[in-house]
Amino acid sequence: MTGDPAASPEALTPNTPEGIAGLAAQLDREAEAVDGRPAWEELRLRWAGRKQGIVRTLLARLNEVEPAARRAYGQAVNSLKEHAERRLAELDETLTAREKEAARQRAAIDVTLPGRRPSVGSLHPVTLVNQEMEEIFRAMGYSVAEGPDAEDDYYNFEKLNFPRDHPARDTQDTFFLGGSQLLRTHTSPVQIRTMLSRKPPIRVICPGRVFRHDNDLRHSPMFHQIEALVVDKGITVGHLKGTLEAFVKRLFTPDTGVRLRPSFFPFTEPSAEVDITCRFCGGQGCEVCSGSGWMEIMGCGMVDPRVLAGCGIDPDVYSGFAFGLGVDRVAMARYDIPNIRILFENDERLLRQVHG
Amino acid sequence: MLFSRNWLAEYVELPADTAELARRLTLAGLAVETMEAKGDDFVLDIDVTTNRPDCMNHLGVAREIAVLYDRPLKRPPAAPAETSEAASAAARVRIEDPAGCPRYVARVIRGVKVGPSPDWLRRRLESIGLRSINNVVDITNFVLWETGQPLHAFDLDKIAEGTIVVRRARPGERLTTLDGQDRELDGESLIIADAERPVALAGVMGGLESEVTDATRDILLESAHFDRKAVRVTARRLGMHTDASHRFERGADPEACAAAASRAAVLFAELAGGTVLAGEVDVRADGADWRRHGTLELARLEGFAGAEIGAADVERWLGGLGFELEPAGAGAWQVTVPSWRYFDFEPRPEPPHEVYPQDFYEEVLRIHGFDSIPSALPAVSGSDGPRTPVQIRRARVRRHLASCGYAEAINFAFQDPAADAAFPSLRPETAAIPLVNPLSERYSVMRRSLIPNLVESARFNQRRGLRAVRLFEVATVFFPREGELPDQPEHLGVICGGRLGTPWDREVELDLFDLKGVIDTLAEEMGVRLEARPATLPGLLPGNTAALFTAGGTDLIGIFGRVEAEEGYPLYVAEIAMAALGEGREGLEVEAPSRFPGIEADFTLTHSLDTSWEEIRRATAEQAPPDLVSFGLKDRYRGPGVPEGAVNTTMSFLYNSRERSLTQDEVNERQSVLRQELERRFGWRG
Repeated sequence: MTGDPAASPEALTPNTPEGIAGLAAQLDREAEAVDGRPAWEELRLRWAGRKQGIVRTLLARLNEVEPAARRAYGQAVNSLKEHAERRLAELDETLTAREKEAARQRAAIDVTLPGRRPSVGSLHPVTLVNQEMEEIFRAMGYSVAEGPDAEDDYYNFEKLNFPRDHPARDTQDTFFLGGSQLLRTHTSPVQIRTMLSRKPPIRVICPGRVFRHDNDLRHSPMFHQIEALVVDKGITVGHLKGTLEAFVKRLFTPDTGVRLRPSFFPFTEPSAEVDITCRFCGGQGCEVCSGSGWMEIMGCGMVDPRVLAGCGIDPDVYSGFAFGLGVDRVAMARYDIPNIRILFENDERLLRQVHG
Repeated sequence: MLFSRNWLAEYVELPADTAELARRLTLAGLAVETMEAKGDDFVLDIDVTTNRPDCMNHLGVAREIAVLYDRPLKRPPAAPAETSEAASAAARVRIEDPAGCPRYVARVIRGVKVGPSPDWLRRRLESIGLRSINNVVDITNFVLWETGQPLHAFDLDKIAEGTIVVRRARPGERLTTLDGQDRELDGESLIIADAERPVALAGVMGGLESEVTDATRDILLESAHFDRKAVRVTARRLGMHTDASHRFERGADPEACAAAASRAAVLFAELAGGTVLAGEVDVRADGADWRRHGTLELARLEGFAGAEIGAADVERWLGGLGFELEPAGAGAWQVTVPSWRYFDFEPRPEPPHEVYPQDFYEEVLRIHGFDSIPSALPAVSGSDGPRTPVQIRRARVRRHLASCGYAEAINFAFQDPAADAAFPSLRPETAAIPLVNPLSERYSVMRRSLIPNLVESARFNQRRGLRAVRLFEVATVFFPREGELPDQPEHLGVICGGRLGTPWDREVELDLFDLKGVIDTLAEEMGVRLEARPATLPGLLPGNTAALFTAGGTDLIGIFGRVEAEEGYPLYVAEIAMAALGEGREGLEVEAPSRFPGIEADFTLTHSLDTSWEEIRRATAEQAPPDLVSFGLKDRYRGPGVPEGAVNTTMSFLYNSRERSLTQDEVNERQSVLRQELERRFGWRG
């Protein structure tokens, strides 16, 4: 901006207070046109500059004014000076705010851009479900017992009351390692080892890998079981029912119903299959549960007196219950995994989706 | 096992609603799997458990129904009209193997006319999926499915000297069975022979030659009891399974022989026009006794159940199921087990033939119904015990690996012997344990290392197009031990490789030191000190492989390295024995940091490539100036400006005093002393 030539200090004609007051209006006009810091600086120099500014120039002319008019002239110049300073300060503030805003806008980023992902790992669905079940049982005072995967027939069958030549002990299902050694077909041998090494009261769960000679879409040759064992004086079938109910209500939902269906296992008597309310239809009956409203989830029973006696526990004094279920099936249900084979493929795209 | 509703209805009045019947049977231990309408009939598929051979026939199931619905059981007629000629004059029976055949009953029916069965009989058999053959065979099948007793009809004319001998086969003997197969027998097989040669496989299948044909006139009817094991061995050796062997293997009713033979005789007279000879030939092994007893006390029963159960119900239910109850004091009975439940009631060690009362509790409770037992929680207080060190350690290791960004894998415990040989094991002197009956070669030995299966899993992910793989597994491995179970220690396996992230994410190319960083931080987390020493191991790239030891130790506790065979990007793998990671309680204590700020410093040492970081690290630790709280590798550089054969190692140092703020000059002075010492020992001399 070059300013109005009529108002240049050299050309300043007004020497009357009225004339000076008129300059204020000119300053306002020029201020209106300021569009940035350089223009503001130019305006400041022109009006408030220490050497050549208009205000300065007008003041310097005070001597040229008639003594009688000096007072009024001085007042007019002062008033112009205040006006100029105020206007410049206001303008400065406006410009500063505008500059800050511009700087902010320059610094703005697209907050919808994706975050940088820290490396987060995952635990296997089977581990997570195991942990969950362990927690439920720990809260009920159970401890966790473990035993070997490669077992002896003695613990896996004999002590569990599987007669040597009984069809219940179908060799087709067992992986043999030679001699009397085999891969355990259930985690029940851990119950035997526990009862042989401890005195009642016993409250344990036995989680672990188990092996069956089976390999198709529904069966994996290795899978996981968790079993519970309670032995004490006065343990009843009612206790078995109550514990099962507490367990499945916590594992699934509080409205899950439990039904015991008598069955046969060599190591429990009586034995039962445990059905829970079908998770898919809530008991109404659907395709998944073949219309029954129930889903078979585990086996249970009162520890067979022969098993207790075989472990040195007097069945006339003590009684106990045991139950066991497949961890993999629960994991599949929980995470909606369609077949058991997928569970052991170790596809990271599946594993990393699993949250516990 | 299939059952016909109409057939059952001959022995007991059934409820009108078959679905309701199915539900009641299921809740009493006879699980009805499916129920299908077939004409005017319903076919029930019942899963009869192996301990209930007595329910593998219609009368047995009807007996259960009669008890469940409190209705009478109607038994079919089993008293044939007989002629004066005695069966014992027409047939002789000799048991040479009383253990294999404790009882053999033979009846003789003369003058049968072999022909088609009447409609009702055909319908019965066809309703449960059997095929009608002729009236004689159909009658034996019908009685099997009615009473559970397997029968066999011989053509009496084909039985040499009318003599039945029960014995083990002689080596080299052969028999062509009814299915047309010529079979070689061995000394383990229990057979029925006549005076000359084998005529049937005992309890499994008859022989073709003595089969009843249209020309048959006289029949020798076998109704025997064969030992469970003898039949199982015979059937298994020949790879056979029949309706008869299924029942004998599970334990047929030893006392049913005579009654079933009589029942069949009634039908032979009625449907095949036969004449039944008087009496039967009944041979029993000496001392054969199929009675068992026990005491049942109501109070103990109720204590066991946790429910009240009436004495009248106990008597009615057990009585209906065939148990004999003799009162033995107030609220107690002496109970005799029916012969058809003999095998399900294994005796206790002492006294002989005495069974556990729990066997009776089971019977009462399955009829009573588990539904009617109130639920309760056992009144045991406190905790059975804390987590074991092994459990704590396992949980911490898993958590650490997941927090390092690794995904947990689970592999089968068996593997390919080729893969076992291709990779290292922490116990290289051992051999992999082979499975006797593996699913396939691929799963035929127990793993001695987690590495082969993890490499397989990583490859699976690579083939599916994943740009990076990071997996870990905590599981047991198997090392053979002479005369005892294998040693089954728990190991940790880790594998990684590939490119993580994008330029935006600050991309990382995973290498050996990413893997080692996991091991280093894991050791720190677990409070143990591990030491890596260069090693040469199978399947891992030489010069990129290390063996791990507990600091200063000599026992190999782990390995890590780069997988030599490559498909796509390189893989880095590690295995560590979990036992080397402490007892799960180490490394928990912390040190309160100084409240004064520390001063950082670094310097670069040019040294030969032959000098290992471990040497420099150890020397620095030994020479550590006062207040040096930590030091580490900041960078390594080879390239322009660094002589061939040398490398620039830049180390960073942190000084911090607990008492005061250190000055830069003090730090500079200490650094200079340290630097001179390291230069003196390791500096590049050209």
